[in-house]
Amino acid sequence: MTSKPCPHEEAVAGAARSGEWSPELKAHRDGCLTCAELTLVMAALAGDAAELAAMDSPLPDPAPIWLRARLATREHDYQRATRAIVWVQRAAAAVALAVGFAFVPGLWNLLKEASSSLDFSSPLADLPRAAGSPLLVIVASMLVLGGLALWELTVAQEN
Amino acid sequence: MIPMALTLPRTQATDLAGRAVTMDETAFRHLYDRTARPLRAYLMRSCGDLALADDLLQEAYLRMLRSGFEGEDDDHRKNYLYRIATNLLRDHFRRKRPESAEVPERDESPVHDSAVHLRSDVGGAMAELAPRDRQMLWLAYVEGASHQEIAKALGLRTASIRSMLFRARQRLVKQLQARGLRPELEVS
Repeated sequence: MTSKPCPHEEAVAGAARSGEWSPELKAHRDGCLTCAELTLVMAALAGDAAELAAMDSPLPDPAPIWLRARLATREHDYQRATRAIVWVQRAAAAVALAVGFAFVPGLWNLLKEASSSLDFSSPLADLPRAAGSPLLVIVASMLVLGGLALWELTVAQEN
Repeated sequence: MIPMALTLPRTQATDLAGRAVTMDETAFRHLYDRTARPLRAYLMRSCGDLALADDLLQEAYLRMLRSGFEGEDDDHRKNYLYRIATNLLRDHFRRKRPESAEVPERDESPVHDSAVHLRSDVGGAMAELAPRDRQMLWLAYVEGASHQEIAKALGLRTASIRSMLFRARQRLVKQLQARGLRPELEVS
């Protein structure tokens, strides 16, 4: 005898789950192979589920799960908060690189000129002029700042 | 213990990254106390390995917390948890080669209690089925999930569930019968 889908399956499943069988449904189940098999499967699985649920093995502690979720949330909040800073750092690094490349050919001449015009006997007030052109100061500052931004970015990404 | 080796696939980890924990710790513990044992039973019977079931259990709760899912009530959250757990199982079985995805052999140690023996046989019978059959049967007949919920959890069409469930059930009956369990029919 082979079983085939029965229109009473849902009613039988409901009764098997609640344990409340109407006489008609019980009579149907006892005469229908599909519904008898369904009842067997449900009883077997319910027993198995009860046995597994009553296992002695303790459940994992929920505290680390909670903590890990909180940490992940904080990390995400931190990343969101520092996103703007990271973009500014990237922009600074890009500008510094661009400026550096643009002025590299003339930079060496500027440095040479600046070093030749250095007069260590001159008073301190003459220092900016003695250090070379204002352009050299700007370029050097941008390169230093760009380098710092680049370093900061690298450290942030490593972390 | 949190499984550090259990890494999320890159796309899923990225999907979760933009969300936050919205539930408070007391609510989470309440949900955990209510749902963790049956969820572990589902995972255990689906993957056949207690340690793996515990790892997946923790990962399921972690994903739920990180998703920021609030749900209308505990039942809604429970359904969501089962969906996450089912996805985790699917990912697990995908990562494994087909032959090693099968549940390990059941414990063959002697059992004297006949009821316990029968239940162990149920585990053995389930182990002979395909992972999707095990999940489908468990969700339908232990968790009482609707066809729609099963389809959602397993990524299938709702219309296919009825016939797939019927076939899965027949395969389980065959395995149970091989172990001496038979449906009680009144012979007229």
